[in-house]
Amino acid sequence: MAEKAKKYDKQALKESREEIAKKIYDLSMQLLGQIDKEDNPSIAIPVRGSRNVEFDKESKKIVLGEKIAHRYLFNVGHARKFMQTMLVASYVKKDLLDQNLTATLRDLYYAKKRTIAGTKEETIDEQKESDLAIVDFEVALDTFREKLHLRAEPKGRIAGDMIVTDRVREKVDTIDLSHMGSGGWAVPSIVEQIEFKDVGAEYVLVAEKNALFDRLNEDEYWKKNKCMIMSTAGQAARGARRFLQRLNDELKLPVYILTDADPYGWYIYSTMKYGSMALAHESDRLGCPNAHFIGMSISDIEHYDLRSVTIKAKDVDIKRAEEMKEYEWFKQKEWQVEINKFLEKKIKAEIQALSSKSLQYVSKVYLPEKIKSQDFLP
Amino acid sequence: MAKKSVVEPVLSAEQLSKEFKEYSIAEFFKRNRQMLGYTGKLRSLTTVVHEFVCNSLDACEDNGVLPELLVEIKELANGHFWIAVEDNGTGIPKKNVGQAFGKLLAGTKFMSRKQKRGQQGLGGSYCVLFSQITTGKETHVKTGIGDHKIYDCDISIDVNKNEPVMHNEAETSGKFKGTRVEIELAEVEYNRSTYGAFEYLRRTALANPHTQITLIEPNQEITVFPRATTKIPARPKESLPHPLGLTTSDLMDMVGKSDARKISSMLQNEFSRVSADKVKELSIMCPGVDFERAPKYLQWAEAEKIVLAVHKVKWIAPETDSIIPIGKDQLEKSLKNLLQPEDLRIVERPPKVFRGGIPFSVEAAIAYGGKAGASGSQSTENGVIMGKGEGLRFANRVPLLFDAGADAITEAIKTIDWARYDLKNWEEMPVTMFVNFTSVFVPYTGAGKLAIAQEEEIVAEIRYALMECARGVATFIHNLKRAEEQEQRRTLFFRYIGEISQALSEITGKEQLVLETKLRKIAEKRTAIAEASDEKELEELEKLEKAAQKEMKDSGEEDE
Repeated sequence: MAEKAKKYDKQALKESREEIAKKIYDLSMQLLGQIDKEDNPSIAIPVRGSRNVEFDKESKKIVLGEKIAHRYLFNVGHARKFMQTMLVASYVKKDLLDQNLTATLRDLYYAKKRTIAGTKEETIDEQKESDLAIVDFEVALDTFREKLHLRAEPKGRIAGDMIVTDRVREKVDTIDLSHMGSGGWAVPSIVEQIEFKDVGAEYVLVAEKNALFDRLNEDEYWKKNKCMIMSTAGQAARGARRFLQRLNDELKLPVYILTDADPYGWYIYSTMKYGSMALAHESDRLGCPNAHFIGMSISDIEHYDLRSVTIKAKDVDIKRAEEMKEYEWFKQKEWQVEINKFLEKKIKAEIQALSSKSLQYVSKVYLPEKIKSQDFLP
Repeated sequence: MAKKSVVEPVLSAEQLSKEFKEYSIAEFFKRNRQMLGYTGKLRSLTTVVHEFVCNSLDACEDNGVLPELLVEIKELANGHFWIAVEDNGTGIPKKNVGQAFGKLLAGTKFMSRKQKRGQQGLGGSYCVLFSQITTGKETHVKTGIGDHKIYDCDISIDVNKNEPVMHNEAETSGKFKGTRVEIELAEVEYNRSTYGAFEYLRRTALANPHTQITLIEPNQEITVFPRATTKIPARPKESLPHPLGLTTSDLMDMVGKSDARKISSMLQNEFSRVSADKVKELSIMCPGVDFERAPKYLQWAEAEKIVLAVHKVKWIAPETDSIIPIGKDQLEKSLKNLLQPEDLRIVERPPKVFRGGIPFSVEAAIAYGGKAGASGSQSTENGVIMGKGEGLRFANRVPLLFDAGADAITEAIKTIDWARYDLKNWEEMPVTMFVNFTSVFVPYTGAGKLAIAQEEEIVAEIRYALMECARGVATFIHNLKRAEEQEQRRTLFFRYIGEISQALSEITGKEQLVLETKLRKIAEKRTAIAEASDEKELEELEKLEKAAQKEMKDSGEEDE
């Protein structure tokens, strides 16, 4: 196995934890300063959402614009959110970072949900509130939640010719991804601590569907083709996206993405590649700008003669396609052609449609052909 | 068997003329009591109280004394009610008692152009008649004019002749100045609701702050409506009529009674604002009419010409010192005394004229909070008594209780857009609206003196007065709301300060209590400042956040 691993400095990781803790401390001291001056304490939070989002053509990333909103304590509309943000800050620093523990968003919600003394009001009514406060906080600190020791749900599996080490607090485990059996290795929700030890794979193939993972795994595709196979199980989870980014960024492994031939699948691809508008602040850490789109495209349906196994497109598909056509990052000629073809023909197809040819068609014909001829969409 | 048919015999003209009778005034009103305010049992009792109280107040004011009235209401064993009204006024000379109480449409107030309470000379006498018809009893009058003689008698009315009938006349010596009337009534009722005598007296006290009224109710409860001022209102001057108010028949009446030797001098002396020049102007416009002749020779057609000419000439507005409103200061004392409101706005409009030449003035007040609002129907909300809005109408300081629908004041109130003054639901708020219409002639809608006719100029003036009051009250209410909001904000901040100071303390290690105190201090300061700029920024931020939230949801980005 070729060694393409980049060693992570344990110290650096630790420092990261301390660094973040210090950031929180500094932010709080800043607030204390404001309080001493009898100013209205405020936290500066870059605004998220399509109104403050730009597409950076050069770096090929969706990035957050310049707009900053200040959340003030002494402001009737902000006060509650300000309080919730401070609850997040305190929990992250004291309970997570200082203790070197990780928690889910739901844990934080329960930990900080209580009745405010002397009132009938709860600090947090629904998890949605604390979730938003977490996003506010990570954006305000210019970091991302994994660094705050907050985990999302893990989703996705991976298998292939690679050995990594993983850590749970102080315990280090060595994981051989080529011996993960029929299930593959569950991609963790936080992947910062993973170190790449032995890398034999030469590219990464990402599939939207678990079904495809099983197919490729059973066909020993990754072994024969010297690659990693990964399934995201729909929209990719944060852990999976970050992992993909690290594979591409640190190990310089090409990334090829395979989804159904429909606007939803194409959207999943674009999210993995560029990030998303709602989470534009993360496209830096979670985007994989060098990823390529293998398929399926409408052209594929034509080329591989799958017309008899197509599905009629629904209204919601049409609507989404029309929206996507306007996105900056789909403006490339090739994509415009594809989207227009879809809008014209109003048909879609799943990857499994390839099974109509033969069960192993995807492993033996479709994928190898595509990769060999580098028949990708940007 | 054939039915016996009953056929009315056809009367001859002669027979008919025998049947023809002339009804006296008394007979007429006997059958039409509702025209004088005697509708329903409750109102009938109130009307009797009203008549005697008006007479008493007038008598006191004529005498220049601070009125002290005593009203007693008793329920008798036979279901009848017994009422006594006593005052410390001028008293009635013996020879006038009969006319005053035993003859309808007679009295001193009838023809004078003076601002007064009573207008038609029906009041007191009709009470006597009413008692008579319902109980068959006479009314007892006791009066003294201050010459150490007290005169008592029992009086009733000969309905056919419209003449008084006096019995048990007695003259004793003693110190009593004023009048006391005792009357028994049936077909009446008493309670404390809006149309009852209690409410009537309460409102009378409001409009007459120099008066003190003591009421003893059937349940023996004594209520004193104390006076709010010792200032007796000035007596209104008797005014000469203004020519613009003149009709042809008025003029014909005047020439019949006038002492003047020439029409020209009659016009100058018996009207206000008529100068020699004006008379010249009029005579030029009426060729063929000899203004140097004696008035009694004036013909109807000529009178008509003069009246038409009057309307073509320009006149100075009538004098207005014949009208004495309650006055802003007096009204303020009175309303504050009785209502103890949180906010009070009073407006006194300058005198105007209606129907061309009759001077009048409107004063209005709006009281908010405190004891303002209808006392009769008090609803509670969370144990707090909420006054309900009431509109009080007065004409020449006399409360108008009935017939609100037809009234000019009601009309004015109806047409005002109260929402503009934060008083949209004033009827559910602790609000008292007070309007007093003062004039030498009150255009009542009927003989019962229940409502002011909806004359255009009058309604307009009332509206202006009330709207001006409302503007003031609106500012007060607005400030109240602001203060409430400020209080709410302060409470809101205080709620979160505890949590925030705890969080900051956990992160930085600084003392939580110290932080909390500091934050509280800022909160106090900040809520006092109007944070208008926040509103806009807040809106912007909210919009952006909502959009972000929606997108997160749409793209399935929300974490589980």
